[in-house]
Amino acid sequence: MKQFKLYIGIAVIGAGILTGCSKSFLELTPRGTELEANFYRNEDELAQGLVAVYDVMGWGTSGGYTMKMPLLTAASDEAYAGGSDASDQPNWVAYDNFTLDPQRGPQVGLWQKNYSGVYKANLLLEKLEGSTSISETFRMRAESEAKFLRAYFYFDLVRFFGKIPLILGPISSDQLYSFPQSEPQDIYAQIEKDLNEARPGLPATVPVNENGRITRGAATALLGKVIIFQNNDGRMLEAAQLLQEVNSGGVYQLLTNFGDIFRPDNKFNAESILEIQHSNLAAWGDWGWINGGEGNVGVQFIGAADYNGNVYSNGWGFCPITLDLVEAMKDDPRFEFTIVDGKKMKAEGATYNARYQNTDYFIRKYAPQKAYRSTVGTSEINWPYNEIEIRLADTYLLEAEALVRGGGDAGRAKSLLDAVRGRVGLGSVAPSLDNIYNERRLELATEGHRFFDLVRTGKAAAVLADQGFTSGKNEVLPIPQVEIDVTNKTLIQNPNY
Amino acid sequence: MKKKRALLVSLFLSLAFPFLLLAQDKPVTGKITNKVNGDPLAGATVTVKGGAVSTTTDATGNFSIQAPPGAILLISYTGFGTQEFAVAPGSAYNFTLNELSTSMNEVIVVGYGTQKKRAVTTAISSVKASDLENMPVFRVEQSLQGRVAGVSITASSGQPGAASTIYIRGISSVNGGSQPLYVVDGVVVDGGIEYLNQADIETMDVLKDAASAAIYGARGGAGVVLITTKRGRAGRINVNYTGYAGVQKAWRKIPVLNAEQYATLYNEASVAAGGNIRFPDPAALGKGTDWQAQVFNDNAPMQNHELSISAGSDKSTYFTSFGFLNQEGIVASSNSKFKRFTARFNSNHKITKAITFGNNIGYTYINSTGVGTNDEWGTPLNRAINMDPITPVIETDPAKLSQSPYTMPDIVRDENGNPYGISSIVTSEILNPVAGLKVAQGNGWSHKILGNIYLEIAPIEGLKLRSTIGGDLAFWGDQSFSPVFYLNATNQNLINDYTRNSNRALNWVWENTASYNRTFGKHDATLLIGITAQRFAGETQGGTRTGIPATNIREASLAFPVSQANQYFWGGEWESTLSSLFGRLQYAYDNKYLFSAVMRRDGSSKFGSNNIYGYFPSVSAGWVISEENFWNPKVASFLKLRASYGENGNNNLEAFRFVSTVSGGRNYVFGDQLINGVSPNAIANPDLKWETVVQTNIGLDAVLLNNHLSVTVDVYNKKTTDMLQNVRVPMYVGNNGPVGNVATMENRGIELAVGYNQNIGDFKFSVNLNGSYNKNEITYLGPDKDYLQGLVYGPQGVEYTRHIVGNPYGAFFGYKTNGLFQTPEDVTNYKNKNGDPIQPLAKPGDLRYVDYNGDGLISAEDRVILGNPNPDFTYGFTVNAAYKGFDVILFGQGIAGSQVLQAIRRFDLPSANWSTKALDRWHGEGTSNSIPRVTLDDQNKNWSNSSDIMLQDGDYFRIKTLQIGYSLPQHIINRIGLNKVRVFFTGNNLITFTKYDGFDPEIGGGSFGVDRGIYPQPRALLFGLNVGF
Repeated sequence: MKQFKLYIGIAVIGAGILTGCSKSFLELTPRGTELEANFYRNEDELAQGLVAVYDVMGWGTSGGYTMKMPLLTAASDEAYAGGSDASDQPNWVAYDNFTLDPQRGPQVGLWQKNYSGVYKANLLLEKLEGSTSISETFRMRAESEAKFLRAYFYFDLVRFFGKIPLILGPISSDQLYSFPQSEPQDIYAQIEKDLNEARPGLPATVPVNENGRITRGAATALLGKVIIFQNNDGRMLEAAQLLQEVNSGGVYQLLTNFGDIFRPDNKFNAESILEIQHSNLAAWGDWGWINGGEGNVGVQFIGAADYNGNVYSNGWGFCPITLDLVEAMKDDPRFEFTIVDGKKMKAEGATYNARYQNTDYFIRKYAPQKAYRSTVGTSEINWPYNEIEIRLADTYLLEAEALVRGGGDAGRAKSLLDAVRGRVGLGSVAPSLDNIYNERRLELATEGHRFFDLVRTGKAAAVLADQGFTSGKNEVLPIPQVEIDVTNKTLIQNPNY
Repeated sequence: MKKKRALLVSLFLSLAFPFLLLAQDKPVTGKITNKVNGDPLAGATVTVKGGAVSTTTDATGNFSIQAPPGAILLISYTGFGTQEFAVAPGSAYNFTLNELSTSMNEVIVVGYGTQKKRAVTTAISSVKASDLENMPVFRVEQSLQGRVAGVSITASSGQPGAASTIYIRGISSVNGGSQPLYVVDGVVVDGGIEYLNQADIETMDVLKDAASAAIYGARGGAGVVLITTKRGRAGRINVNYTGYAGVQKAWRKIPVLNAEQYATLYNEASVAAGGNIRFPDPAALGKGTDWQAQVFNDNAPMQNHELSISAGSDKSTYFTSFGFLNQEGIVASSNSKFKRFTARFNSNHKITKAITFGNNIGYTYINSTGVGTNDEWGTPLNRAINMDPITPVIETDPAKLSQSPYTMPDIVRDENGNPYGISSIVTSEILNPVAGLKVAQGNGWSHKILGNIYLEIAPIEGLKLRSTIGGDLAFWGDQSFSPVFYLNATNQNLINDYTRNSNRALNWVWENTASYNRTFGKHDATLLIGITAQRFAGETQGGTRTGIPATNIREASLAFPVSQANQYFWGGEWESTLSSLFGRLQYAYDNKYLFSAVMRRDGSSKFGSNNIYGYFPSVSAGWVISEENFWNPKVASFLKLRASYGENGNNNLEAFRFVSTVSGGRNYVFGDQLINGVSPNAIANPDLKWETVVQTNIGLDAVLLNNHLSVTVDVYNKKTTDMLQNVRVPMYVGNNGPVGNVATMENRGIELAVGYNQNIGDFKFSVNLNGSYNKNEITYLGPDKDYLQGLVYGPQGVEYTRHIVGNPYGAFFGYKTNGLFQTPEDVTNYKNKNGDPIQPLAKPGDLRYVDYNGDGLISAEDRVILGNPNPDFTYGFTVNAAYKGFDVILFGQGIAGSQVLQAIRRFDLPSANWSTKALDRWHGEGTSNSIPRVTLDDQNKNWSNSSDIMLQDGDYFRIKTLQIGYSLPQHIINRIGLNKVRVFFTGNNLITFTKYDGFDPEIGGGSFGVDRGIYPQPRALLFGLNVGF
């Protein structure tokens, strides 16, 4: 019996140890990962949060391949979809031919990317607001950058989709599945608000080691562009005023040599205003999440397939240039820096294979060049080619357009247009809207501007008619069907989809 | 305590006193033992026939009774019936009682204890070693297939070592947490059960209802499989060898077009799309390549051996075994193999009368390599059926070899240096499967030690204190090497890479239980209380080096020096804990009225701060009608009704999902520096808790026909609430949704198990049948949605299944069709009320879709439920027959009421090969009303829509095993010192009856019910030998 009591005692003590410890036994902290609630404590951590917002700018592959530059080039009259066959990137083919439907097209990737960016920007703004341990200097700049980025993402969203949910902070649980869509003008108003709030806190220039961070010029240029995109002639002079600040502010200059603008070794040159960083520094190898790396996979897409020669690197044959654009540019001094002539390439001894919709003309500005092919990571997804979203020639032409449409200084409009032309040795032309738009087409060809320019100027229906563009429908993409499904149809599909 | 004992003693004396007084004759004395194992039977009733005198045996089986000369003693013992013996006064006897041949006396493991089946009030099914011996099954869960009512098991593929999908009473969760909890000798096993050698198993007990599984609380929701390994018995040393070896092959191949047929159809498809004839002379192409012949191995060897030694004394027993299994796959044998070595040592030691010490320890080494088994992204079989038959296996034509792509430097060659054929017709993942296998180099390995040690103390009669420490220590990893290669334009590797992962996990459990059993009068009660603490933790690390000086995996090493940029290293760790208290009371009155109640409290580190502890109660009761006086035993010798109700949990979710964690790696470049960016991984949910499974069960156990027939019937209703799932949030939220307790699901079903056995002279015969019906229904998915996306296909992500409220999990979803348009008029006549054609893009030979919502056009809204991959009925039977030295085992298993969606052709690659069914396609008015025309430009989405034309009846019945054995006569083998020699011949998966025309209707795993070209179950012919001495 004594022994028995001893056993009971042991058992009781054992039970006591276990239950006594059990609370702490069950409270584990994850290793190797931080909790959201504990993070964003100081400038260092907030800065890392900010980098995550920037990161989204470089995405092109959430929900399929939806890199903006080649995709918009294919959607416009500049290029076809291409690839190995029509089933290679059916979403591109659908955009190219306007056979888009709620399930087919690039909408998932573009929607997801930009809303991921919006979420991260919102979160950072919230954390910045709640932080008491940071300097005002830090707060101001980080807030400005986050607001710029939020505006940037919304500008893409409103252009791609039109009526969209305008989310500016945490979503309450009752709105999680039923967030209302806002009218485009309200989205634009918010974009302008963000950009206006961002501008004062941004530096005019950044030191070399901060290249890629947003400058005031970028915010001002984007704001001017955003106003022009709203097509209100009554506000054109306002836009021109802003763009003049960029164009004549002394920060940016047109490069003397047009061919230098897109040289991968000439990043952040004097003409570049908003530039998205890409590099092979991540030496990325994960095809399943290309966004995790920093490379520009769009470059891989547009190269000639199975290319064998000295200049370029083999690509996948996407975005063959239309003969329309070739025709339009054939006598233009910018041709050789804009379009790769496959026949000429072959004459020089190179070989490549024709792919779907081959025209023997390829994009030059972002063409994969042997010299820059990554030797680290998986080469295809590590191309170190920055994307230039806004450059000075663009803002020159935008200002010229705004001046003409707003009835502003015609002389300045002419000199802006002539400056762009003069740089490549072309003579002066009258600053008519047609001439300005034509100049945009040639100067900015395959840079991803053309499709949106056609839409905003109302020319899309005419120019893209033979591609299948339907007016009143294809100005925007369909909202992804999965999104409509998950919101139980509270999201209203865009007209005619 | 002392007082109580005294009371008992006096009670006994007062009962015995009258007999002592009547002692006139000399007593009959004796000992009663179990005929089968010699154990003494305590508590057997001994009565003099026709008299009033009666006694019971003591703990050692001894009794003494006054009996007149010529008396006949009636000896009865629960489960042994009543037997009569003639006795003479003053003599001593040894009586042996034969157990009734009924399963009701089997001992069932109930979790922290055992019970006779007759006393069980919950739904538990058992499989014994004798049912499994010599069965060619290599994974433990497969051995339950077709043997246990209510357990549905579907192999994920026929690849060696492939896991099965196991559902106990239907899918109990929309999560991965539908797989049952495996408990081996009391240790919960995580991470797969393939390590266990089936020959080491003594019993498997499947806890099916909530009341039986309640003792496992938050982890019992999907049912529990308790596995007990073999132990030694007191007596002589037993040495047993069992081994078998044989060959396997596919039981079916899919007929696909040969080169001539392919070219003909391709031309037709090209012309239909407005293109040109591509192959001007199809006949010249002949038969072309039979890619399936290249991929299938019709002589895939396998072998399995086990040697076991067991013995023991009164004090100690042990069981030790060694096993070796080596199986090659029937598909791509070079890349599909499974090798396993197992060793086990179980022992028990009685240190004193009151103290027992023991252990169960198993070690397993596995080395395996595998191929993709059921997907569209380039598995060997998917390639074999989709690859054009025109491309040769190896290209020898010099004209072709001098051109691209054969001039690419890194094309893959066979051992003779011939380049493997590269298709110029089919693209993407569909490439030469032989070449594809050549560059896929790698394997996985694991070492696992799972065991426990325990100390049991029985300080007083009926009380057992037990402390067990168990551990599951595993090391596993894999390596893969990708050489520099060019397979086709989209599949090339310019720099080689070698990757190695290593993982280590230690899960431990410490359990302390106390149980006390007490019988007083007709009352019998057992109380169990216990506490457990468990920790599951591990770590992983791996690395890759690219551009190493190696051309194959044998040369590859992470030690090769490469530049910093060409090496990657990663790692991580995981941890979760569980702390629990539990108690169980089992009570029986007069063996008639049975009652049991369980309560468990589980605390889990995986749950949110608002819900750390969960309580899981259950009650069950039984009524043994056959023990009642009014019962006529001629109707049934045993009849029990039982009912149970209980709650379980399911905590199968990732740790730390209740908080929002942040991760780095969301990087961006500033200047020329890569800067780390950090953002949250998902939204937080502090209320996160277990899923609750509530189940009601009503059952009946009966033994009829002179104990020849046993029947068990169960009816259940199982409701899962608070189902955990990643809450799908709109993409505009900008991040992944949290895990939430939202959804509910219901399973209702009925189960029947029937056993019949009869011995007629030397002929022994038994049949066991089981069948079950289950209906699964998702009842709620949250306020925001009425379905969850299920399985999708191909780059377009075509939805094939959906989990829709009011329907079973994973229901097939798509368009209903109504034949084919035969003429252009058919197309124009299929119009809506405005007179517009409903399918303006359709052409003759295209599918006519049903405008289900009647809106006058065909859109995503017209999709409906098309079928169900979950069977309504699952059934199985085993027939055992033996005559003298010969024995036959026939085991069959099947399902009914399910469909399979066949998606074996990559429709998105229009030049993929067709099955020969395409020969019966529509190719002119009236040629077919079910198989659409072929075209490279499928505007009508005949194949890129999910529709009912892809569905087939998935019912099957399989002769899973037929085994014929012969045991050499004892008198012969005894002479050479053996006590058992049996040779046997086994056919596995010999015949499958099914209407399904794919490789195999049995499609489990991640692509449940959708056939993307599944790696089929092998048919095996095996020869085996048992030797014992």
